[in-house]
Amino acid sequence: MEGDFVQGAKMIGAGLAMIGTIGAGAGIGIVVSGAVQAMGRNPDFSGTIQTNMILGIAFAEAVAIYCLVVALLLLFAV
Amino acid sequence: MEQSRKWWRFGVNRWFVLLFIVLNVIAVSAYPPLRPHIQLPAEALTEQPLFIFPLVNAPVYLTNTLVATLIGDILLLLIGFGVWRAVGSGQMVPRGLSGAVEAFIEVLYNLTESTAGKWAKRIFPYFATITLLVLVLNWMELIPGVDSIGFFNERHIENPFECSFVQLPLGAVGITGASNECVKGVIPFVRATATDLNFTLALALIAVVMVQVIGVRAQGLSYFSKFLNVKTFFTKPVFGVIDFGVGILELVSEFSKIFSFAFRLFGNIFAGSVLLFVIGTLVPVFAQSGVLMLEFFVGAIQAVVFGLLTMTFMAQATQSHGGEGHEESH
Repeated sequence: MEGDFVQGAKMIGAGLAMIGTIGAGAGIGIVVSGAVQAMGRNPDFSGTIQTNMILGIAFAEAVAIYCLVVALLLLFAV
Repeated sequence: MEQSRKWWRFGVNRWFVLLFIVLNVIAVSAYPPLRPHIQLPAEALTEQPLFIFPLVNAPVYLTNTLVATLIGDILLLLIGFGVWRAVGSGQMVPRGLSGAVEAFIEVLYNLTESTAGKWAKRIFPYFATITLLVLVLNWMELIPGVDSIGFFNERHIENPFECSFVQLPLGAVGITGASNECVKGVIPFVRATATDLNFTLALALIAVVMVQVIGVRAQGLSYFSKFLNVKTFFTKPVFGVIDFGVGILELVSEFSKIFSFAFRLFGNIFAGSVLLFVIGTLVPVFAQSGVLMLEFFVGAIQAVVFGLLTMTFMAQATQSHGGEGHEESH
Protein backbone atom coordinates (compact mmCIF):
# COMPACT_ATOMS: atom_id res chain seq x y z
CA MET A 1 0.00 0.00 0.00
CA GLU A 2 2.71 2.41 0.99
CA GLY A 3 4.78 1.34 -1.99
CA ASP A 4 1.88 2.17 -4.28
CA PHE A 5 1.65 5.62 -2.74
CA VAL A 6 5.36 6.23 -3.27
CA GLN A 7 5.10 4.97 -6.85
CA GLY A 8 2.19 7.30 -7.55
CA ALA A 9 4.03 10.24 -6.01
CA LYS A 10 7.03 9.46 -8.21
CA MET A 11 4.89 9.48 -11.32
CA ILE A 12 3.22 12.74 -10.36
CA GLY A 13 6.63 14.24 -9.69
CA ALA A 14 7.90 13.11 -13.07
CA GLY A 15 4.88 14.69 -14.72
CA LEU A 16 5.43 17.93 -12.82
CA ALA A 17 9.08 17.96 -13.81
CA MET A 18 8.13 17.92 -17.45
CA ILE A 19 6.26 21.23 -17.09
CA GLY A 20 9.60 22.92 -17.58
CA THR A 21 9.60 21.93 -21.23
CA ILE A 22 7.04 24.68 -21.93
CA GLY A 23 9.82 27.25 -21.81
CA ALA A 24 12.07 25.24 -24.09
CA GLY A 25 9.26 24.82 -26.59
CA ALA A 26 8.57 28.55 -26.67
CA GLY A 27 12.29 29.28 -26.90
CA ILE A 28 12.86 26.94 -29.83
CA GLY A 29 9.83 28.43 -31.57
CA ILE A 30 11.24 31.94 -31.21
CA VAL A 31 14.69 30.86 -32.40
CA VAL A 32 13.37 29.11 -35.48
CA SER A 33 10.96 31.90 -36.38
CA GLY A 34 13.79 34.44 -36.22
CA ALA A 35 16.09 32.21 -38.25
CA VAL A 36 13.49 31.53 -40.93
CA GLN A 37 12.74 35.23 -41.26
CA ALA A 38 16.43 35.97 -41.59
CA MET A 39 16.79 33.28 -44.23
CA GLY A 40 13.85 34.75 -46.10
CA ARG A 41 15.46 38.20 -46.05
CA ASN A 42 18.85 37.09 -47.30
CA PRO A 43 18.96 33.50 -48.54
CA ASP A 44 22.68 33.76 -49.32
CA PHE A 45 23.55 33.45 -45.64
CA SER A 46 21.19 30.58 -44.95
CA GLY A 47 24.08 28.21 -44.23
CA THR A 48 25.53 30.39 -41.48
CA ILE A 49 22.11 31.16 -40.09
CA GLN A 50 21.24 27.50 -40.01
CA THR A 51 24.37 26.60 -38.07
CA ASN A 52 23.70 29.29 -35.50
CA MET A 53 20.06 28.30 -35.34
CA ILE A 54 20.94 24.69 -34.54
CA LEU A 55 23.35 25.92 -31.88
CA GLY A 56 20.63 28.07 -30.30
CA ILE A 57 18.13 25.25 -30.49
CA ALA A 58 20.61 22.98 -28.73
CA PHE A 59 20.98 25.49 -25.91
CA ALA A 60 17.23 25.89 -25.52
CA GLU A 61 16.66 22.20 -25.83
CA ALA A 62 19.19 21.47 -23.10
CA VAL A 63 16.76 22.89 -20.54
CA ALA A 64 14.03 20.56 -21.72
CA ILE A 65 16.48 17.69 -21.57
CA TYR A 66 17.30 18.54 -17.95
CA CYS A 67 13.59 18.25 -17.16
CA LEU A 68 13.49 14.97 -19.00
CA VAL A 69 16.50 13.66 -17.10
CA VAL A 70 14.90 14.63 -13.79
CA ALA A 71 11.70 12.87 -14.81
CA LEU A 72 13.56 9.76 -15.93
CA LEU A 73 15.59 9.70 -12.73
CA LEU A 74 12.39 9.92 -10.69
CA LEU A 75 10.81 7.11 -12.67
CA PHE A 76 13.68 4.67 -12.99
CA ALA A 77 16.48 5.49 -10.60
CA VAL A 78 15.25 6.88 -7.28
CA MET B 1 8.94 9.20 -66.74
CA GLU B 2 5.82 7.11 -67.05
CA GLN B 3 7.90 4.00 -67.41
CA SER B 4 10.01 4.66 -64.33
CA ARG B 5 7.04 5.45 -62.17
CA LYS B 6 5.37 2.25 -63.28
CA TRP B 7 8.49 0.30 -62.42
CA TRP B 8 8.53 1.81 -58.99
CA ARG B 9 4.90 1.11 -58.41
CA PHE B 10 5.29 -2.57 -59.14
CA GLY B 11 8.54 -3.02 -57.29
CA VAL B 12 9.13 -6.01 -55.09
CA ASN B 13 10.37 -4.22 -52.02
CA ARG B 14 6.97 -3.42 -50.65
CA TRP B 15 6.01 -7.08 -50.79
CA PHE B 16 9.02 -7.80 -48.64
CA VAL B 17 7.82 -5.11 -46.22
CA LEU B 18 4.36 -6.66 -46.20
CA LEU B 19 5.84 -10.10 -45.66
CA PHE B 20 7.84 -8.85 -42.70
CA ILE B 21 4.78 -7.17 -41.19
CA VAL B 22 2.81 -10.41 -41.48
CA LEU B 23 5.67 -12.36 -39.94
CA ASN B 24 5.82 -9.74 -37.21
CA VAL B 25 2.12 -10.18 -36.44
CA ILE B 26 2.52 -13.96 -36.27
CA ALA B 27 5.58 -13.70 -34.04
CA VAL B 28 3.91 -11.25 -31.70
CA SER B 29 0.79 -13.38 -31.34
CA ALA B 30 2.98 -16.38 -30.56
CA TYR B 31 5.28 -14.59 -28.11
CA PRO B 32 3.68 -11.45 -26.65
CA PRO B 33 6.22 -8.76 -25.79
CA LEU B 34 7.53 -8.40 -22.28
CA ARG B 35 7.07 -5.29 -20.30
CA PRO B 36 10.56 -3.85 -20.51
CA HIS B 37 12.66 -3.28 -17.45
CA ILE B 38 14.28 0.10 -17.81
CA GLN B 39 17.36 0.67 -15.76
CA LEU B 40 19.51 3.75 -15.70
CA PRO B 41 23.02 2.37 -14.99
CA ALA B 42 24.48 0.01 -17.52
CA GLU B 43 24.00 -3.68 -16.78
CA ALA B 44 27.01 -5.81 -16.05
CA LEU B 45 27.41 -8.83 -18.31
CA THR B 46 29.71 -10.83 -16.06
CA GLU B 47 29.22 -11.70 -12.41
CA GLN B 48 32.86 -11.17 -11.55
CA PRO B 49 34.38 -7.75 -12.08
CA LEU B 50 37.00 -7.50 -14.81
CA PHE B 51 39.51 -5.93 -12.46
CA ILE B 52 39.56 -3.79 -9.35
CA PHE B 53 40.49 -0.23 -10.10
CA PRO B 54 43.58 0.27 -7.95
CA LEU B 55 43.37 3.75 -6.43
CA VAL B 56 39.74 4.03 -5.41
CA ASN B 57 39.26 0.27 -4.99
CA ALA B 58 36.22 0.21 -7.27
CA PRO B 59 35.33 -2.93 -9.22
CA VAL B 60 35.10 -2.47 -12.99
CA TYR B 61 32.58 -4.70 -14.72
CA LEU B 62 32.20 -5.56 -18.37
CA THR B 63 28.99 -3.64 -19.01
CA ASN B 64 26.93 -3.79 -22.15
CA THR B 65 27.61 -0.14 -22.97
CA LEU B 66 31.33 -0.92 -22.77
CA VAL B 67 30.80 -3.66 -25.36
CA ALA B 68 28.99 -1.15 -27.57
CA THR B 69 31.85 1.31 -27.21
CA LEU B 70 34.39 -1.33 -28.23
CA ILE B 71 32.31 -2.33 -31.27
CA GLY B 72 31.97 1.32 -32.25
CA ASP B 73 35.72 1.80 -31.93
CA ILE B 74 36.37 -1.18 -34.15
CA LEU B 75 33.89 0.14 -36.74
CA LEU B 76 35.62 3.53 -36.71
CA LEU B 77 39.02 1.91 -37.09
CA LEU B 78 37.76 -0.16 -40.01
CA ILE B 79 36.34 2.94 -41.69
CA GLY B 80 39.63 4.73 -41.12
CA PHE B 81 41.58 1.81 -42.55
CA GLY B 82 39.34 1.71 -45.63
CA VAL B 83 39.76 5.43 -46.22
CA TRP B 84 43.53 5.12 -45.70
CA ARG B 85 43.72 2.40 -48.34
CA ALA B 86 41.55 4.38 -50.73
CA VAL B 87 43.81 7.41 -50.32
CA GLY B 88 46.93 5.29 -50.75
CA SER B 89 45.67 3.67 -53.94
CA GLY B 90 46.36 6.85 -55.87
CA GLN B 91 42.87 7.73 -57.07
CA MET B 92 42.30 11.45 -57.11
CA VAL B 93 38.53 11.12 -56.66
CA PRO B 94 37.68 8.70 -53.87
CA ARG B 95 34.59 6.59 -54.37
CA GLY B 96 32.02 4.93 -52.22
CA LEU B 97 32.48 5.05 -48.49
CA SER B 98 35.74 6.97 -48.55
CA GLY B 99 34.13 9.59 -50.78
CA ALA B 100 31.31 10.00 -48.29
CA VAL B 101 33.79 10.28 -45.43
CA GLU B 102 35.79 12.84 -47.39
CA ALA B 103 32.70 14.96 -48.02
CA PHE B 104 31.71 14.77 -44.36
CA ILE B 105 35.19 15.71 -43.14
CA GLU B 106 35.33 18.57 -45.61
CA VAL B 107 32.05 20.00 -44.35
CA LEU B 108 33.33 19.78 -40.78
CA TYR B 109 36.64 21.41 -41.69
CA ASN B 110 35.02 24.30 -43.53
CA LEU B 111 32.80 24.87 -40.52
CA THR B 112 35.84 24.92 -38.23
CA GLU B 113 37.73 27.26 -40.50
CA SER B 114 34.87 29.75 -40.71
CA THR B 115 34.57 29.82 -36.92
CA ALA B 116 38.11 29.44 -35.61
CA GLY B 117 40.20 31.05 -38.33
CA LYS B 118 43.87 30.18 -38.07
CA TRP B 119 43.36 27.88 -35.11
CA ALA B 120 41.30 25.52 -37.24
CA LYS B 121 44.14 23.01 -37.62
CA ARG B 122 44.51 22.64 -33.84
CA ILE B 123 40.80 22.54 -33.10
CA PHE B 124 39.60 20.38 -35.96
CA PRO B 125 40.89 16.98 -34.65
CA TYR B 126 38.88 17.25 -31.43
CA PHE B 127 35.77 18.35 -33.29
CA ALA B 128 35.99 15.57 -35.88
CA THR B 129 36.88 12.86 -33.37
CA ILE B 130 34.02 13.68 -31.03
CA THR B 131 31.52 14.03 -33.86
CA LEU B 132 32.53 10.79 -35.60
CA LEU B 133 32.66 8.76 -32.38
CA VAL B 134 29.31 9.97 -31.09
CA LEU B 135 27.74 9.61 -34.52
CA VAL B 136 28.83 5.99 -34.93
CA LEU B 137 27.86 5.11 -31.35
CA ASN B 138 24.46 6.76 -31.69
CA TRP B 139 23.67 5.09 -34.99
CA MET B 140 24.59 1.69 -33.58
CA GLU B 141 21.26 1.90 -31.77
CA LEU B 142 19.56 1.45 -35.16
CA ILE B 143 21.15 -1.95 -35.82
CA PRO B 144 18.62 -4.74 -35.16
CA GLY B 145 19.59 -6.72 -32.08
CA VAL B 146 21.24 -3.87 -30.24
CA ASP B 147 19.20 -3.22 -27.08
CA SER B 148 17.07 -6.30 -27.70
CA ILE B 149 19.17 -9.49 -27.80
CA GLY B 150 20.63 -10.56 -24.51
CA PHE B 151 20.40 -12.73 -21.41
CA PHE B 152 16.90 -13.51 -20.31
CA ASN B 153 16.83 -12.97 -16.58
CA GLU B 154 13.93 -14.84 -15.07
CA ARG B 155 14.62 -15.10 -11.41
CA HIS B 156 12.13 -14.09 -8.76
CA ILE B 157 11.95 -11.03 -6.63
CA GLU B 158 11.59 -13.09 -3.47
CA ASN B 159 15.16 -14.39 -3.59
CA PRO B 160 17.35 -11.41 -4.09
CA PHE B 161 20.52 -13.41 -3.60
CA GLU B 162 19.89 -15.67 -6.54
CA CYS B 163 20.19 -12.97 -9.12
CA SER B 164 23.57 -11.45 -9.38
CA PHE B 165 23.25 -10.14 -12.90
CA VAL B 166 21.25 -7.07 -12.05
CA GLN B 167 23.64 -5.87 -9.44
CA LEU B 168 25.05 -2.49 -10.05
CA PRO B 169 28.29 -1.90 -11.78
CA LEU B 170 29.86 1.47 -11.02
CA GLY B 171 26.90 3.61 -10.09
CA ALA B 172 26.93 6.48 -12.51
CA VAL B 173 28.20 9.47 -10.50
CA GLY B 174 26.45 8.69 -7.30
CA ILE B 175 23.13 7.82 -8.87
CA THR B 176 22.34 4.43 -7.50
CA GLY B 177 19.91 2.34 -9.47
CA ALA B 178 16.84 0.55 -8.22
CA SER B 179 18.09 -2.94 -8.47
CA ASN B 180 18.57 -4.66 -5.18
CA GLU B 181 15.58 -6.74 -6.16
CA CYS B 182 15.45 -9.04 -9.10
CA VAL B 183 13.46 -8.32 -12.19
CA LYS B 184 12.33 -10.35 -15.12
CA GLY B 185 13.59 -9.05 -18.38
CA VAL B 186 16.21 -9.03 -21.04
CA ILE B 187 19.69 -7.77 -20.29
CA PRO B 188 20.98 -6.83 -23.73
CA PHE B 189 24.49 -7.75 -24.78
CA VAL B 190 24.91 -4.41 -26.49
CA ARG B 191 23.24 -1.22 -25.36
CA ALA B 192 23.60 2.22 -26.92
CA THR B 193 26.66 3.80 -25.35
CA ALA B 194 25.26 7.26 -24.76
CA THR B 195 22.63 5.77 -22.41
CA ASP B 196 25.46 5.42 -19.90
CA LEU B 197 26.09 8.61 -17.96
CA ASN B 198 29.71 7.57 -17.42
CA PHE B 199 30.45 7.81 -21.13
CA THR B 200 28.84 11.20 -21.72
CA LEU B 201 30.38 12.65 -18.56
CA ALA B 202 33.83 11.42 -19.56
CA LEU B 203 33.45 12.89 -23.04
CA ALA B 204 32.24 16.20 -21.59
CA LEU B 205 35.20 16.30 -19.20
CA ILE B 206 37.61 15.67 -22.07
CA ALA B 207 35.96 18.38 -24.16
CA VAL B 208 35.97 21.05 -21.43
CA VAL B 209 39.52 20.25 -20.28
CA MET B 210 40.77 20.45 -23.85
CA VAL B 211 39.03 23.81 -24.20
CA GLN B 212 41.19 25.09 -21.34
CA VAL B 213 44.31 23.54 -22.90
CA ILE B 214 43.60 25.22 -26.23
CA GLY B 215 42.99 28.50 -24.43
CA VAL B 216 46.33 28.29 -22.60
CA ARG B 217 48.13 27.41 -25.83
CA ALA B 218 46.60 30.39 -27.57
CA GLN B 219 47.03 33.04 -24.89
CA GLY B 220 49.48 31.66 -22.39
CA LEU B 221 48.80 32.17 -18.72
CA SER B 222 46.81 35.32 -19.43
CA TYR B 223 44.00 32.97 -20.41
CA PHE B 224 43.22 32.50 -16.72
CA SER B 225 42.69 36.22 -16.25
CA LYS B 226 39.29 35.51 -17.73
CA PHE B 227 38.40 33.69 -14.53
CA LEU B 228 40.37 35.62 -11.92
CA ASN B 229 40.00 39.11 -13.22
CA VAL B 230 42.05 41.43 -10.94
CA LYS B 231 43.37 43.69 -13.70
CA THR B 232 40.79 46.42 -13.12
CA PHE B 233 40.16 45.66 -9.47
CA PHE B 234 42.21 48.56 -8.11
CA THR B 235 42.08 50.98 -11.03
CA LYS B 236 38.34 51.30 -11.51
CA PRO B 237 36.42 51.78 -8.25
CA VAL B 238 33.12 49.99 -8.88
CA PHE B 239 33.48 48.31 -12.23
CA GLY B 240 36.58 46.46 -11.09
CA VAL B 241 34.51 44.58 -8.56
CA ILE B 242 31.89 43.87 -11.19
CA ASP B 243 34.59 42.56 -13.53
CA PHE B 244 35.83 40.29 -10.77
CA GLY B 245 32.29 38.98 -10.25
CA VAL B 246 31.95 38.35 -13.97
CA GLY B 247 35.16 36.33 -13.86
CA ILE B 248 33.72 34.17 -11.07
CA LEU B 249 30.60 33.67 -13.16
CA GLU B 250 32.79 32.57 -16.09
CA LEU B 251 34.38 30.00 -13.82
CA VAL B 252 30.97 28.70 -12.75
CA SER B 253 29.76 28.55 -16.33
CA GLU B 254 32.82 26.51 -17.25
CA PHE B 255 31.73 23.86 -14.75
CA SER B 256 28.13 24.02 -15.84
CA LYS B 257 29.29 23.33 -19.38
CA ILE B 258 30.40 19.87 -18.28
CA PHE B 259 26.97 18.96 -16.97
CA SER B 260 25.24 20.61 -19.89
CA PHE B 261 27.27 18.54 -22.36
CA ALA B 262 26.85 15.31 -20.43
CA PHE B 263 23.13 15.57 -19.76
CA ARG B 264 22.21 16.80 -23.23
CA LEU B 265 23.67 13.77 -24.99
CA PHE B 266 22.61 11.33 -22.27
CA GLY B 267 19.06 12.69 -22.03
CA ASN B 268 18.42 12.62 -25.74
CA ILE B 269 19.71 9.13 -26.36
CA PHE B 270 18.30 7.59 -23.17
CA ALA B 271 14.89 9.12 -23.82
CA GLY B 272 15.06 7.76 -27.36
CA SER B 273 15.78 4.24 -26.20
CA VAL B 274 13.04 4.41 -23.55
CA LEU B 275 10.67 5.57 -26.29
CA LEU B 276 11.75 2.62 -28.45
CA PHE B 277 11.12 0.18 -25.59
CA VAL B 278 7.71 1.59 -24.76
CA ILE B 279 6.52 1.80 -28.37
CA GLY B 280 7.82 -1.71 -28.96
CA THR B 281 5.76 -2.99 -26.06
CA LEU B 282 2.57 -1.07 -26.76
CA VAL B 283 2.44 -1.44 -30.54
CA PRO B 284 4.79 -4.30 -31.38
CA VAL B 285 4.04 -4.26 -35.10
CA PHE B 286 5.70 -1.74 -37.46
CA ALA B 287 5.25 1.33 -35.24
CA GLN B 288 8.85 1.22 -34.08
CA SER B 289 10.06 2.01 -37.58
CA GLY B 290 8.83 5.58 -37.33
CA VAL B 291 10.55 6.06 -33.99
CA LEU B 292 13.72 4.56 -35.45
CA MET B 293 13.67 7.22 -38.16
CA LEU B 294 13.32 9.88 -35.46
CA GLU B 295 16.25 8.32 -33.60
CA PHE B 296 18.32 8.46 -36.78
CA PHE B 297 17.93 12.24 -36.90
CA VAL B 298 18.31 12.73 -33.15
CA GLY B 299 21.52 10.73 -33.12
CA ALA B 300 23.01 12.71 -35.99
CA ILE B 301 21.96 16.09 -34.58
CA GLN B 302 23.26 15.34 -31.10
CA ALA B 303 26.61 14.14 -32.46
CA VAL B 304 27.01 17.29 -34.54
CA VAL B 305 25.84 19.54 -31.70
CA PHE B 306 28.30 18.00 -29.23
CA GLY B 307 31.19 18.50 -31.62
CA LEU B 308 30.01 21.93 -32.76
CA LEU B 309 29.69 23.25 -29.23
CA THR B 310 33.15 21.94 -28.35
CA MET B 311 34.53 23.63 -31.44
CA THR B 312 32.77 26.90 -30.67
CA PHE B 313 34.00 26.95 -27.07
CA MET B 314 37.54 26.21 -28.26
CA ALA B 315 37.34 29.02 -30.82
CA GLN B 316 36.12 31.37 -28.08
CA ALA B 317 38.96 30.32 -25.81
CA THR B 318 41.54 31.27 -28.43
CA GLN B 319 40.29 34.83 -28.50
CA SER B 320 41.29 37.07 -25.64
CA HIS B 321 38.51 38.61 -23.61
CA GLY B 322 40.44 41.59 -22.33
CA GLY B 323 39.37 45.11 -23.16
CA GLU B 324 35.95 46.53 -23.69
CA GLY B 325 35.01 45.61 -27.23
CA HIS B 326 35.26 42.11 -28.64
CA GLU B 327 38.53 41.70 -30.41
CA GLU B 328 38.53 40.10 -33.79
CA SER B 329 40.41 36.87 -34.10
CA HIS B 330 44.01 37.78 -34.61
